[in-house]
Amino acid sequence: MESTSTPRISSPLVDSYVGQNVMVIGKVQQLRGDTAVIEAEGQITANLNRDAHLVNGNAAQIIGKVLPDLSIKVLSSLDLGNGVDFKVAQAVVDATHQYRDLFVFDAAKGGMMG
Amino acid sequence: MGDSYGGGYSRTSYNAGGGDDAGGFVYGGSQNGSQSGAGKGYGDATLRPVTIKQLIDAEQAYPDAPFRVDGLEITEVTFVGMVRAISPQTTNVTFRIDDGTGVIEVKQWLDADKQDDENSPKNACALDSYVRVWGRVKSFNNKRHVGSHYIKPVTDYNEVQYHLLEATFCHLFFTKGAQGGAAAAANGGAGNDSMFVDGGHGAGGGDVPMSDGLRMVSAKARQVHAWLVNAEGGNEGLHANIIATAMGISVGEVLKCGEELTSAGVTYTTVDDETFAILDY
Repeated sequence: MESTSTPRISSPLVDSYVGQNVMVIGKVQQLRGDTAVIEAEGQITANLNRDAHLVNGNAAQIIGKVLPDLSIKVLSSLDLGNGVDFKVAQAVVDATHQYRDLFVFDAAKGGMMG
Repeated sequence: MGDSYGGGYSRTSYNAGGGDDAGGFVYGGSQNGSQSGAGKGYGDATLRPVTIKQLIDAEQAYPDAPFRVDGLEITEVTFVGMVRAISPQTTNVTFRIDDGTGVIEVKQWLDADKQDDENSPKNACALDSYVRVWGRVKSFNNKRHVGSHYIKPVTDYNEVQYHLLEATFCHLFFTKGAQGGAAAAANGGAGNDSMFVDGGHGAGGGDVPMSDGLRMVSAKARQVHAWLVNAEGGNEGLHANIIATAMGISVGEVLKCGEELTSAGVTYTTVDDETFAILDY
């Protein structure tokens, strides 16, 4: 049992999560070496780790830490195929932030962030 | 324990395997015992979609008391998360499940009769894949885990999102009342407690457009509001007694709902404090 969360966010929210672990669900737009560009209400640059198996054009879930330059250092990534409804994904992001109590342990309480 | 239960089959089969659940004998005695007896009956069991954070935040009134989410006792819960670790034990398989809101341990008890089955939990769940879990929250040595009967791999990622939205919906339902609960008024007063089935899904059929004020009031207040809209009380409004008689609920309840609706700005009191009329915009 751990009181740590990786809040689901999209591009407009990245700058409020610098230094924290987050989850992004989006469409892979570009794959160049170990960098990927993920589209989630805007573009997010992701620095992939070795065992990432993302596919261009497919949906992906990445979990990682937001760096000061607003890119994400990926800790875990998952290829989600092409059947993901991004509108629903965005609805979850909205719900996460509107009803934070259900989704996010804040760093002050959880103490495991950063 | 095998022959002593009275109706709670799903718990009993779990208890028989689990052994750590002292509550198993609640069903002890005869068939009648389970109806008149102490403890929560089978009929009170719920299956609630939750986030893992809600489980970690769930409160207990005293040690061993039932867990509460949003002030309501939970029995069975279901959630969707990623498998972060699998550790097979002699009597169970322990998973660490992470849904992005928190991490919790899930123990699935092994059925000695069904060893190496294709459906055995170890085979069903791969590391870092999404699964849906059904189970109950347990507390053991002050550590919370979920005792699960059933874990199923998630094949469509949209189920993950769907689940989180459903959990949010249930939270809002229990804390703020049914969505556009107007249609539920048609059920009359008696069935108020079963609003989820009657009102939640039928809400689309409500003929009263939901105003912003109504979003914040209780389900029952919405029923009163819906009744008032259709009652044509005019500018004078209708007295709480009339509403109570027509809806089959107590005057006290009507007054409480009326107050709630008035403070939400959707009704107002007219000739006296107990007469309510719809505030039309």
